[in-house]
Amino acid sequence: MNKRRIFKIFLTTFIISFTILPIILSNSSWPTLARDYLFMHAFDETGASNTVSSIYLGYRLIDTLGETLVLFVAITGTMSILLNLHKQVLQGVETQSSLPPEKRAKNALRTNLVEVVASKLGPIILLFGLYVMLYGHKSPGGGFQGGVILASAIVFLALSTVVKTKLTNSNVLSRIESISFLSLILVTTYVVFFPNGFFRNIATNNSFASATMIIILNIMIGLKVGTSLAVMIIAMMGGQHDY
Amino acid sequence: MIIERILIFLIFITGFIGLISMKNIIKKIIGLNLLSSSIVLLFILEASRIGDEAPFLDDKVQNIVDPIPQALMLTAIVIGVCVTALSLAMAVRLYKTTGSLDITIIKERLENDC
Repeated sequence: MNKRRIFKIFLTTFIISFTILPIILSNSSWPTLARDYLFMHAFDETGASNTVSSIYLGYRLIDTLGETLVLFVAITGTMSILLNLHKQVLQGVETQSSLPPEKRAKNALRTNLVEVVASKLGPIILLFGLYVMLYGHKSPGGGFQGGVILASAIVFLALSTVVKTKLTNSNVLSRIESISFLSLILVTTYVVFFPNGFFRNIATNNSFASATMIIILNIMIGLKVGTSLAVMIIAMMGGQHDY
Repeated sequence: MIIERILIFLIFITGFIGLISMKNIIKKIIGLNLLSSSIVLLFILEASRIGDEAPFLDDKVQNIVDPIPQALMLTAIVIGVCVTALSLAMAVRLYKTTGSLDITIIKERLENDC
């Protein structure tokens, strides 16, 4: 039985290496046409000096909307699985991470060090996430990256019971998420009524106005991603944080 | 260039073997993450072959890398996060229902229950 299993694993690995190795090792030349076009025109057409930003918020906004929808569906599925679980199995049982420190069991994997470090670092990381989110059009970053940093800051704030903030309340986070997602859908479909093409940036040849559009989209995507990931991680840590 | 490719292939194979041979669900999910990370690395490496500067348009910048695979990989990373979250939630559910993370034990216990 064991030998057969090892043989199966070996055979599958061999077949997958035989399939994937030519793809990884292929040395054909990479096309430079799209790179050259973006290098010449991306700043004038979308107003973002970060070319990655100008692709996913200027030329390919509909892809970003679909990506956000995929994230939304995955978060919804995860939350439905986790919330049913808490209702069925953990009825009346409080998990260790949502209790105040004096009520916790002594063997819980939480020390005062975690409390202090998380409560001090949380606001700083929140500020850094906002910076990455707001400057996504001209420096490395953008909505998704800044949103993930925001989510980690909110998780830090939720880990510490010293800081009392409404930001770790799941209801507040869900409300922020819904509002930002609704406004993202409204803004992306509003662009349809302008003659620049479907899901294109409405302002062209004017770097200030079109960059403003990208900044607004970045803020919405960042808030959406950050709050939805934070809601999910807080649910995984053991349910609601109500203060 | 060939060394990076071989290393990426090794990461891919490590993830794949973890995915198919591990019995612990958490280790399987880690394998899945390694697999998707190797694909992300491969695309970034391919894009960096035609340039040597970050794709931020500036007066001094002359020879940028291809930004399209980077934008694509942004999508891939987000999808990877979604897949990881869903599979972790399912792992939590299976653990609460059967009391184990080992797939053989989970299978036995689920068959005994039904």
